[in-house]
Amino acid sequence: MNIIVCVKQVPDPQMPMASFKIDPATNKLVPTPGIPPVINGYDEQAVEAALRLKEANGGKITALSLGKELVSDVIKKPLSMGADELILLQDDAFEDGDDYVTAHALAAAIKKIGEYDLIICGRQASDFDSGVVGAGIGEILGLPVITIARDIKMTNGVIRVERVVPDGYEVVEASPPVVVTVSNELGQPRYPTLRGIMAAGRKQPTVWSAQDLGLDTTVSRMKLLKLYQPDKISQCEFIEGGSPAEAGVNLALKLREAKII
Amino acid sequence: MDIALSDNHLMIQRTVRDFAASEIAPYSAQWDEEGHFPAHIIAKLGELGITGLIFPSKYGGSDGDMLSLVVALEELAKVDSSVAITIEVLTSLSGPLLLHFGTEEQKQKWLVPMLQGKTIGAFALTEPDTGSDARGITTSAVLVDGHWAINGSKSYITNSGSSMTDFIIVAAVTGGDEAGKKEISNIVVPKDAPGLTVGSSYRKIGWRASDTHPLFFEDCRVPEGNLLGERGRGLAQFMKVLDGGRVAISAMAVGLIEVSLQMSLAHALKRRAFGKPLSDHQAIQFKLADMAVSVDLARLATYRAATLVDQGLPHKKEAAIAKLFSSEAALQAVDQAVQIHGGLGFMEDSPIARFYRDAKVLTIGEGTSEIQRMIIARELGC
Repeated sequence: MNIIVCVKQVPDPQMPMASFKIDPATNKLVPTPGIPPVINGYDEQAVEAALRLKEANGGKITALSLGKELVSDVIKKPLSMGADELILLQDDAFEDGDDYVTAHALAAAIKKIGEYDLIICGRQASDFDSGVVGAGIGEILGLPVITIARDIKMTNGVIRVERVVPDGYEVVEASPPVVVTVSNELGQPRYPTLRGIMAAGRKQPTVWSAQDLGLDTTVSRMKLLKLYQPDKISQCEFIEGGSPAEAGVNLALKLREAKII
Repeated sequence: MDIALSDNHLMIQRTVRDFAASEIAPYSAQWDEEGHFPAHIIAKLGELGITGLIFPSKYGGSDGDMLSLVVALEELAKVDSSVAITIEVLTSLSGPLLLHFGTEEQKQKWLVPMLQGKTIGAFALTEPDTGSDARGITTSAVLVDGHWAINGSKSYITNSGSSMTDFIIVAAVTGGDEAGKKEISNIVVPKDAPGLTVGSSYRKIGWRASDTHPLFFEDCRVPEGNLLGERGRGLAQFMKVLDGGRVAISAMAVGLIEVSLQMSLAHALKRRAFGKPLSDHQAIQFKLADMAVSVDLARLATYRAATLVDQGLPHKKEAAIAKLFSSEAALQAVDQAVQIHGGLGFMEDSPIARFYRDAKVLTIGEGTSEIQRMIIARELGC
């Protein structure tokens, strides 16, 4: 089976909030030296899902990434984990694009790749957390979209997805091709092996521009009014109790009072 | 000479850093306190390919270069020197000895499983009465009925008695000439060889989660075919391997200096004294600046030596310079890190205390600082 995985390079979300700076004049994140880029966590899980499917069914995995200032040793991580090919969409024209432009470009690249049974995306990216690009790709390509997967299997030509819902999971099946977005419930992505890293080092990514895709990048639909860091208010309350069990009961009562459970 | 980390090196660095942060760092303090050898971590590092990093893919390795190993050991030592030294010994001592001098059969039997992370191997040179003076060893091996009969004892041997230990390469006197010059050979002794007794673990001030034992040989019998390479070439064999080992130890020192700087800087920016952060006090700034200088120079010296290894150029002096400078600088760095952390640095609750204890042996193992100076002086033509 042919699997395409969309991956995004993001600033390391583990960095403290104070180290992120926003330029209010341009409504943009100011690139801060010292914040290392990483692959979006959910996207690593998307790669992991693809690798598990490949192990079970064979096939080919193509990683696809759109972005600027992509760092070679970061963006090659899917290759070092075991993906077969890496395609980068790099063009200044993408820079000011919104999620629609991103989905549009990724969809065009997927069309250009041509043969695919499954497109896997992370459920959202840890930079802006919009969580719409996966669904956008499905919409543009006219494909079924199954979101927030914790497991993906392919049996007898049918994609079977366990989809996370608030009180458990539901099982959804679809005939390929299909878009699936993956959640952290899928489990830890594997570490790249040294052999994988060596193999990745020998592979050169394919780079496509907007022109290569025949893309109109002026299709933005979103207008960003204001980008700002919310004031962080934290309140901490210790729940007391004579025993751990009693403290547990008190916590449950508090949560019910607050209508959380 | 171009010293630069490639994409591959950076990917290795990132992978080992991530692995160490999630799989090692949360448990290091406990392993250290209990003297627990984390066999499962060594096995996982084997699965990742760290144990086989610099070995040919023909034997299950990853075809990496020395600079890759340096980068990996640096990252491991930033978190746990015990894990780092376990890997160092098998990638820089027992592994290369087998690779360079072993027969195909010996490589298949002992090297391949070790590179896969299934086993570990040791190299036993030091004895109760001999350390730096390698020619002074007295452990003997005599051929009797197609077997080597080994007698003597070895001290402070890393990787020699763990659940994963498979073999020990033993340096032994196998003869001598009339003038009294000893013939020294290396012999592979399987862990279960009759006559080999592995003594209890040492109680060490550092590297407590690494596996270190004394070994006793009482008419220990191994087949004649366990001789490694040519008879009488034992000293030359480990002299060839030790140069690489020094670069690896130097990398561990770089890791310790780096983590000392990182933790000290973070503490100095946060902790306040006399109304301002420690980092605003010049006394502390100077310490941090000195650490930054140390890590830079130690790393440059180490990378240079590793690059020379990778380019197949002579590196004896450069390896000794790197090991000497980096290990001495690491001792100063951990000392200053404790000083900056104050009382906290003296408490075992902080990893700084463990780093302080782990640093000392770097100026002793695989050639003391004094031996490094002798090598450098000799290379200068003295």
